[in-house]
Amino acid sequence: MSIALYRVDDRLIHGQVVVGWGQPLDASFIVLVDDTVRASDWEQDLYRMGVPPHIEVIFASVDEALRRLPEWEAERRVGILLTGDLDTMAALARGSNRVGKVNVGGIHHRQGRSERLRYVYLTDAEAATLRAIAARGVDVTAQDVPTARAVPVGEFT
Amino acid sequence: MAPLTPRPRLGTSLLRLFTVQGSWNYEYMLGLGIGVAEEPLLRDLPGGPGGAAYHAALGRGTHFFNAHPYLAGLAVGAAARAEHDGASPEQIERLRTALAGPLGSLGDRLVWAGWLPFAAGLAIAGIALGLGWTAVAGFLVVYNAGHLALRWWALRAGWAHGTRVPTALHHPGLRRAMAFTAPAMALALGLALPLGASYLAAPFAAGGRIALAGGTALGLVLLWWRPMNLTGLRLGLTLIAAALVAGWVWR
Repeated sequence: MSIALYRVDDRLIHGQVVVGWGQPLDASFIVLVDDTVRASDWEQDLYRMGVPPHIEVIFASVDEALRRLPEWEAERRVGILLTGDLDTMAALARGSNRVGKVNVGGIHHRQGRSERLRYVYLTDAEAATLRAIAARGVDVTAQDVPTARAVPVGEFT
Repeated sequence: MAPLTPRPRLGTSLLRLFTVQGSWNYEYMLGLGIGVAEEPLLRDLPGGPGGAAYHAALGRGTHFFNAHPYLAGLAVGAAARAEHDGASPEQIERLRTALAGPLGSLGDRLVWAGWLPFAAGLAIAGIALGLGWTAVAGFLVVYNAGHLALRWWALRAGWAHGTRVPTALHHPGLRRAMAFTAPAMALALGLALPLGASYLAAPFAAGGRIALAGGTALGLVLLWWRPMNLTGLRLGLTLIAAALVAGWVWR
């Protein structure tokens, strides 16, 4: 089944991911792509606590993720790939043609960002990054949970 | 390491944590409430209340944050302790970010999907067995004892460990609680569902019971078939609407 969801979420692993998406997709593994978390044992330890024991968590840097994407896409299990920011997802979309859909699940308030949706706050540069990902033929939508409407990128950037 | 803040300050912080859900909004989520709860623990920073360290720490405390409200005290205590220990602003931001998701996920599994349905299941079974208000009182005592203990433990553990707070989450008591709540919840609900259904269906004639069983079976099939589109709430509201229409047509 491979990777069923490529998601950008600045909270990384939390309830919406594990329960909201993980349960209906029947996800067996989560790939967390973040260079800083990849280098931090205590952060990995924390994120592992957020998932039930039957879900494997794989931590990868951007380079490792680009190298291992074909392997994860060939998995028989269902997986979710998470990044905490748009630049990381953009790097994956640039470096691999396997990223066909991107789900913007949550990018929250920070200085300089403005509200685009209730769960998506972006700077103008971040909005441009999303449009650039979409321009590569990637289907970019915002959707926090599966039962919500998938909002096309043109409606919030 | 800074001396422990007198316990009354932790008590004030705990009391403020009870209001944390009231601060929720889409922009900061629990951030503002977390800052308010952290404030009593920051008053002893160099310069005292009004000092630069206090203001900077309080500003950081109110940044965007979300977690399970019962475990949010862990982040409050840990961030305040890290401020006293002189951790850098970047370290504290990283700690808050890393704690948010896991505390939310752990709390959801431990409380919303464990302790709460466990206590509610026991109460429903008790009511169905004729215990009446005793079962309701038992629910309030059992549920609140668990969640108050969890809140107090979380705040103290965060304050005791600071940036080393991941260690606190390996506490054997927490692990035992995680291991206990899921099967206990399944057992309690397994007991409550047939007893509750039998109790609620008792006033109906055979036809009504068959319709109730049919509606339940249909709901289970639909939830299994369309998990991405259907929720229990949507299904329940649809069935209530259908029942109202049917009752109006056949009255």
